Amino acid sequence: MRIVIAGAGEVGTHLAKLLSFEEQDIIVIDQDGEKLDVLDSSYNLMTVKGSPTSFYTLKDAHTSRADLFIAVTPSESTNLVACSIAKSLGAQTTVARISHYGFMDPANKEAMNRMGVDRLIYPEYLAAKEIATALKHSWVRNWFELHEGQIILVGVRIRDNAPLTGMQLKEFASTTNHFHVSAIRRNHETIIPRGDDRMLAGDVLYITCTREHVPDLIKLCGKVEHNIKRVLVMGGSKIAIRLLDLVGNKYRFTIIDNNREVCENLPEKCPNAEIIHGDARDPEVLAEARIDECDAFIALSPSSESNILTTLSAKEFGIKKSVAEVEDMQFIAQAEALGIGTVINKKLLASSTIFQLLLDADSSSSKCLALTDAEVAELEVKPGAKITRAAVKDLHLDRSMTLAALIRDDKGMLVNGNTVFQPGDKVLIFCLAGSLHKVEKLFS
Amino acid sequence: MRSKLNIRILLNIVGGLLMLEGAFLLIPLITCIVYKESDWLVFLCVMVLTALVGLALRKIPTTSTRMGKREGFLLTASVWVFFTIFGMLPFIFCSTPVGLSSAFFEAMSGFTTTGATTLKFPISDLSHGMIIWMALMQWIGGMGIIIFTLAVVPALNTSGGMLMFNAEATGITHDKIRPRISQTAMTLWGTYFLLTVILVGLLWLGPMDFFDSLCHAFGTISTGGFSSRTGSVSEYGSDYVLIVVCVFMLLSGMNYAMLYQMAIGRWRAFSHNDVVRVYFGIIVVFSTLFALGHFLDGNVESVEEVTLYPVFQVVSSLTSTGYLAPGFFMWEPFVLALTFIMMFSGGCAGSTSGGAKIDRLIYLKRFLSNELTHCVHSNAILSVKMNGKIVNRDLVTKTIAFLSLFVLLILGGGVVMSFMGLKPVDSFFSAFSCICNTGFGASLTGYGEDFATIPDAAKWVLSFLMLTGRLEIYTVIILFSRPFWK
Repeated sequence: MRIVIAGAGEVGTHLAKLLSFEEQDIIVIDQDGEKLDVLDSSYNLMTVKGSPTSFYTLKDAHTSRADLFIAVTPSESTNLVACSIAKSLGAQTTVARISHYGFMDPANKEAMNRMGVDRLIYPEYLAAKEIATALKHSWVRNWFELHEGQIILVGVRIRDNAPLTGMQLKEFASTTNHFHVSAIRRNHETIIPRGDDRMLAGDVLYITCTREHVPDLIKLCGKVEHNIKRVLVMGGSKIAIRLLDLVGNKYRFTIIDNNREVCENLPEKCPNAEIIHGDARDPEVLAEARIDECDAFIALSPSSESNILTTLSAKEFGIKKSVAEVEDMQFIAQAEALGIGTVINKKLLASSTIFQLLLDADSSSSKCLALTDAEVAELEVKPGAKITRAAVKDLHLDRSMTLAALIRDDKGMLVNGNTVFQPGDKVLIFCLAGSLHKVEKLFS
Repeated sequence: MRSKLNIRILLNIVGGLLMLEGAFLLIPLITCIVYKESDWLVFLCVMVLTALVGLALRKIPTTSTRMGKREGFLLTASVWVFFTIFGMLPFIFCSTPVGLSSAFFEAMSGFTTTGATTLKFPISDLSHGMIIWMALMQWIGGMGIIIFTLAVVPALNTSGGMLMFNAEATGITHDKIRPRISQTAMTLWGTYFLLTVILVGLLWLGPMDFFDSLCHAFGTISTGGFSSRTGSVSEYGSDYVLIVVCVFMLLSGMNYAMLYQMAIGRWRAFSHNDVVRVYFGIIVVFSTLFALGHFLDGNVESVEEVTLYPVFQVVSSLTSTGYLAPGFFMWEPFVLALTFIMMFSGGCAGSTSGGAKIDRLIYLKRFLSNELTHCVHSNAILSVKMNGKIVNRDLVTKTIAFLSLFVLLILGGGVVMSFMGLKPVDSFFSAFSCICNTGFGASLTGYGEDFATIPDAAKWVLSFLMLTGRLEIYTVIILFSRPFWK
């Protein structure tokens, strides 16, 4: 697939690297030659220097033959104009990164289409949704549901107290067949396990099951589901505002921000929340905000380091659920290892949207969940696809992917070796980074 | 902090490449069988050995496929050395055997398209298999071993392959024609292959037989300058041959990415290119000077001597091919001085030619004129421009560092050669000729001797210089630097 990415900022660079490993044809456009040189000299892609809103630059980047045009510059208006030009030049699908909800409003969809913008990425909105899910299901790190919750995939860290700990996968399978252990994240690395792999304390397990077995899973993992009532938020960022817009009336929010101006503007956007001006890194400020009465702590300040460290000190006050925004990719693994409940990263969220587009360009219903080095995707089986030809155990799947569950006739079920896929099935697939093209082949 | 070099993946890839070299050895093998020569056994054995070693290296288990910049440099340099080691074996065991040092020199000279030879006997004594192998080595080395591999082995279509491409391709910046490295490599090799096929056809139409057309086409397109005849291209006494060879040398001295753009009808790439303008400028000016010098000398006997021969000679020297026009030795001494300049400059970046490349000299010239302006107008803001666009300061610095290193290597090489007992002129000229991959022997200067007479130790030094020159210095020299290993 030929993909043109306009903007070599954080999201653009991340996408370009990721997609170049997935054997896609990538062309990156930016005005900053130095940023491009770094990409050009070490990744398998091509770069074009120039403005993303110039007809000439876009022509140089062969936008007319692009299957996908992604505009992810920091400026929303640049992105929209770039998409509009790209569409007029002949790009198949255009995606713009936006930072206001107005563009996403279904009422304005037609106006957007007229402009030539097909899809939108709104990382702050995706982040807010992710946090809302984390608050609802406080015992997991990741929660991914398919088809109105028929199939659920959770990411959960197990400790010594979990009945699962120390068990081999095949032992576990012999006691119950309601669960599918899709992947294990251990020592900063994600593996697709086999029958003789053991589940150890400290591992993050990605387990798939149907809805009715979730309560059993909570017990097996040694977890308790907390009911979250009061939430403390550090940083009145865009994500915080979107979060309060989504679930502001379900929980009682307190927002701490160290910028007076931001604080003074917040009451208008978050009418139900209590606003405190102060530095959340200061324990006295946290105490003043009555952190001991709060159930969850969410750190959304611009600094990843502050977010991680403040969340850790908040945990000492007896917080039950912690969420931290970590924008520096290299800190994510560290933050996870330090025991932060859920880590939010806008780049990963944006890239998961793109992956979904790549895998299933025509279905808007399919979902995707991006982890640091793996992807979870929902794909529909098409007639004649390679995957329908044999039972799972005879497909000789690569070790970089696993088929976890499927939905047939609106009913969810787990995949085992004897499963034979039929056209129309929706499959939940878990694949490690770099294997997207293999998945594509399987489903084509 | 420093990660360990991933040696296993290096050996693995080298193994894969050796298997490819084994496949290339099929061509001389078939040639020997066709001509019913005894060397077929040698080629068969070498082929099997190369393939087996390749297979063995391929079987080394790898723990990770991670490749960094350092692996890219080391791999590219070692691939060339490995190719040379296996490429020299036929020289040692064929029916006209030579010593180890000479064999290594021959193979390196072939792959780096230098075209220098130490053989003490006329080329016609060699079997047809050996002759085609020498020509083929130049052809493989011309566009590059790595670039060929990238084009045919999809497994290398990764960032690792990209690093190798950067370490091998000639030029200051490497224009990618298409988004993925294998596509770019395929385009370049496609262009290269097509040019070769056309040239073979054209030569075959002339006085040459198929075998000679093939050898000369390989020698011309790769700008190696190999000839299957003792009297080289002028043995045929045919202007047709000279004209055809001259045109294709001219093409091979240009950027292949640009040739491709032209072939698909993007003439903008050609008309808006400073380098091409300078390239043709040099050819026109120098040819005129050559012709004028010869004409004023007063012993002109035919029209060709002031038209075709000077142009042929200029193109041959500038593109580092190293074919000699008829009667070169009778020309004026200043012709030789101009030849030095052309050998140093080489063709355009991104071509198969050697030398420092015209692009770099243009940077140097523009930088120097800016510096001079600065002496007078110290507040003037000046920048080096290429094709109407400002060139990044770092790139200019890098280019000047390259040129300094290039000159230092010629001087250093010359000094080392004189240690080995060569006469000063021979020492400096042979080092110069090897690092520029031209392959003129020192006898060209009129009072030196050919490569055949140099001592064995010196052959290794020259081989090293040839490789350094072909991989554009940094890729090889960096392996001897502290930061690389520390």
